[in-house]
Amino acid sequence: MASATDTALVSEDTSETEAVAAGAVGLAAVLFALSLASVFELVTITDPVAGVPMVALLGGLLVVLGFAVVTFGVGSRLGYVATDPRPTAGLVASTAFGLVWFVVGGLVASQSLGFGTAGWVIGALVTGGAAFAVSAFPREDIGSTLPAGGLALFAGIVFLTGVIGPSWVWNLGWEQQASFNAEFTIPVLTAFCSLLVGWAAAKAYGGFGARGRHVGAYVLVYLNAISIIALLFLLVAFTVLKGLPGLFNGFAFGAGAGPEVTLVGLTFSLPVSWPFVMNGVALLNDVNGVLPAIAGTIWLVIGAVLFAVPLGVGAAVFITEYADRGRFTQVVEIATNGLWSTPSIVFGLFGLAFLVPRLGNQKSLLAGMLTLGFMLLPLVVITSRESMLAVPDEYRDASAALGVTKWQTIRSIVLPASLPGIVTGIILGVGRIAGETAPILLTMSGSVAPPGSQTVDVLGGFQFQSAPPFVTNPELMQATSALPYQLYSLITAGVGQSSNIGAIDEFRWATALILLVVVLGFYAVGIATRYYFRSKLQHD
Amino acid sequence: MSETRQTTDDAQATTDSELAGGASPGTDQPLEVTSGETRERTREEWVEHEFEGEAKLSVSDLDVYYGDDHALKGVSMEIPENSVTALIGPSGCGKSTFLRCLNRMNDRIKAASIDGSVQLEGEEIYQDGVNLVELRKRVGMVFQSPNPFPKSIADNISYGPRKHGDLDTGLLANLLGRSDDDAVDELVERSLRQAALWDEVQDRLDDNALGLSGGQQQRLCIARALATDPEVLLMDEPASALDPIATSKIEDLVHDLAEEYTVVIVTHNMQQAARISDQTAVFLTGGELVEYGDTDQVFEDPQSQRVEDYISGKFG
Ligand SMILES: Nc1ncnc2c1ncn2[C@@H]1O[C@H](COP(=O)(O)OP(=O)(O)O)[C@@H](O)[C@H]1O
Ligand SMILES: [Mg+2]
Repeated sequence: MASATDTALVSEDTSETEAVAAGAVGLAAVLFALSLASVFELVTITDPVAGVPMVALLGGLLVVLGFAVVTFGVGSRLGYVATDPRPTAGLVASTAFGLVWFVVGGLVASQSLGFGTAGWVIGALVTGGAAFAVSAFPREDIGSTLPAGGLALFAGIVFLTGVIGPSWVWNLGWEQQASFNAEFTIPVLTAFCSLLVGWAAAKAYGGFGARGRHVGAYVLVYLNAISIIALLFLLVAFTVLKGLPGLFNGFAFGAGAGPEVTLVGLTFSLPVSWPFVMNGVALLNDVNGVLPAIAGTIWLVIGAVLFAVPLGVGAAVFITEYADRGRFTQVVEIATNGLWSTPSIVFGLFGLAFLVPRLGNQKSLLAGMLTLGFMLLPLVVITSRESMLAVPDEYRDASAALGVTKWQTIRSIVLPASLPGIVTGIILGVGRIAGETAPILLTMSGSVAPPGSQTVDVLGGFQFQSAPPFVTNPELMQATSALPYQLYSLITAGVGQSSNIGAIDEFRWATALILLVVVLGFYAVGIATRYYFRSKLQHD
Repeated sequence: MSETRQTTDDAQATTDSELAGGASPGTDQPLEVTSGETRERTREEWVEHEFEGEAKLSVSDLDVYYGDDHALKGVSMEIPENSVTALIGPSGCGKSTFLRCLNRMNDRIKAASIDGSVQLEGEEIYQDGVNLVELRKRVGMVFQSPNPFPKSIADNISYGPRKHGDLDTGLLANLLGRSDDDAVDELVERSLRQAALWDEVQDRLDDNALGLSGGQQQRLCIARALATDPEVLLMDEPASALDPIATSKIEDLVHDLAEEYTVVIVTHNMQQAARISDQTAVFLTGGELVEYGDTDQVFEDPQSQRVEDYISGKFG
């Protein structure tokens, strides 16, 4: 049996006390998940869970947890539980507990007891100081369990007794009429307390000491990572759930269900009818859609990439491989970094003031492409340069020693080796430009809700003629929509426009979902491309 | 031959005047270079090496500076055809620098400036209008750490000839029916056989070269250098990053290559130099060529006290 002074090299099988601590960690994790779920209103705090209202459940669990952790700490101090604690919980933990209890004391004194400034400061100092002292001076087993478990107990009792009940509102009394309601406060407090108490339980599970700290940190980091991923996932899930009904409104499947198309002289009906992505907005439509905006976004991104990538990679080749490293490359580096952080509205203004007057003096797809291309350019330069610098000089030496010229070396060795990095840059950049609204608003946008007939058809728009400039494409010169702009204009449009569309809220969410899908589609293409280039460079 | 003789005389004259002017007793600072080395003046006859046949490379009065750092001091030496010449010496004495002068790889180092003459079969390579592509095709190089390209084994081999336009395998060539695919296969096999690698990799020519072991990668680099059909092969410590078995394979290979190629190999391993080379050049700290001659003579009966100390392990 491991004792406080002499740690066994091999710890024995899970003892009962360890099982209790592990159970507490698990319970804290469950509680954390529950509170996150109620922040996002997946469960409401008044909903009964297994016959008990959610608030009571949260409060009860907090009390149980807090009690368990405190008991464990006291038991360890009194020698009933074999652990390996250090003399103190440490300054960081003590300060954190001190601050937490300072806030608790201050809030109770000022809000619940109604003390004035002097009163609540004294109350806060007393509780904060006590928590700091309890944490810093006794042995680690008391110091890390008592303040955490105490907080959980306190919060649990507050919830259980209804001091903070479902109808509780904390009016901040500010000019802006700001207030916190229970729907938000209770889950957030629970999440916070469960993190703290979970950490304390994890330390207890590790038997305090170095191993306990390790386990404690592990649980904290793990819970954090999971909750962040869960948050992101919820964000996407939220959009998907809200968007799906609008997206599949009027969706039909089967032979001849879809609209007629003509391909290579053959006219036939598509086997699917998907109004939201096949229609524009028109009075006679059964279901309105965003086809023009989808086409606009896709062409916009393609055009910007086609414009920015050759230019950006070329510039990167020049400053990396040809220009002497020195003042000049430094200036270029600073300038590109600065350009990348330039707000998009500035690029939009540039497009409006410089490009639009020169491109037919009207907003157009081409102007939007170029504006976004300019936005993309610095990132392409930065990432291309970085990945070219990462290509080992040994390759260049080997190539030169074979008598191969510099340009051929760049083309056959340096560029292929840096392609995955370049593609990564493009992926990141496309993620940004595909969602841009401001530049599009200024350089390319047409009507708020364009009809299907306004869908750009860039490929079909090329016209050849015998006089210069020989090739023209009126489609490129046409004002059109893009998904982020459409979303923005739907949100800001007046009632008149909205009534045209019908279920406007559904329509907006579906538009957001389609934007998400289009951007993720570009990501998928980019990642597949990168995977392909990378697999050519690596063995297996 | 008489012309090279002439340059050697010039070299002697320069060294003599240096000895007279700069290294008078009491001020012979340059010769007392590193602690542990005996003071001694380098004699001209120590670096004269008599051999039969033609000199493939003749170097005379070669000085290299890196900025203000005088890395090679008046090196003159004649390297015979189809033989193995080993360059040995303590690290930092300029062996790699010397080697890089022979195919003008030093041109790639901004700080380096080179003064003197290097002739490849009587043709000066340090003059205006030298075609570096042609020079490096004739004088191939293998580096210290294996550096295959992140491409397939076959592509590594065919890279040089392809870029030189000696082989045509692009899409256009295929369309025009002018593709040299068969020639490529032949070249790959021949080069890999020469580098004693064919048996090990013949089933995976399309695999990425980075998947080979270190020793295999280095032999691939040798094969890659051989593929451009060079006359001279420069090797800078080609086995220093390899295990003993891979090293001995490289040594055997170097030995075989000397039948067709002029091999100049840098090594810090004296046993290796003694095993594989026909003649040995000893550079010592300060960038001087101190002794050059038949390998047997240099190792068994060195004329210079410092070389003897170095070879017997007193410093280095
Ligand atoms: N690229 C370089 N730039 C500046 N100095 C160099 C460079 N390469 C070598 N040197 C210097 O030249 C001297 C000889 O170096 P090197 O030829 O690499 O020696 P070795 O190969 O015998 O170890 C050393 O003093 C080294 O510091
Ligand atoms: Mg070296």
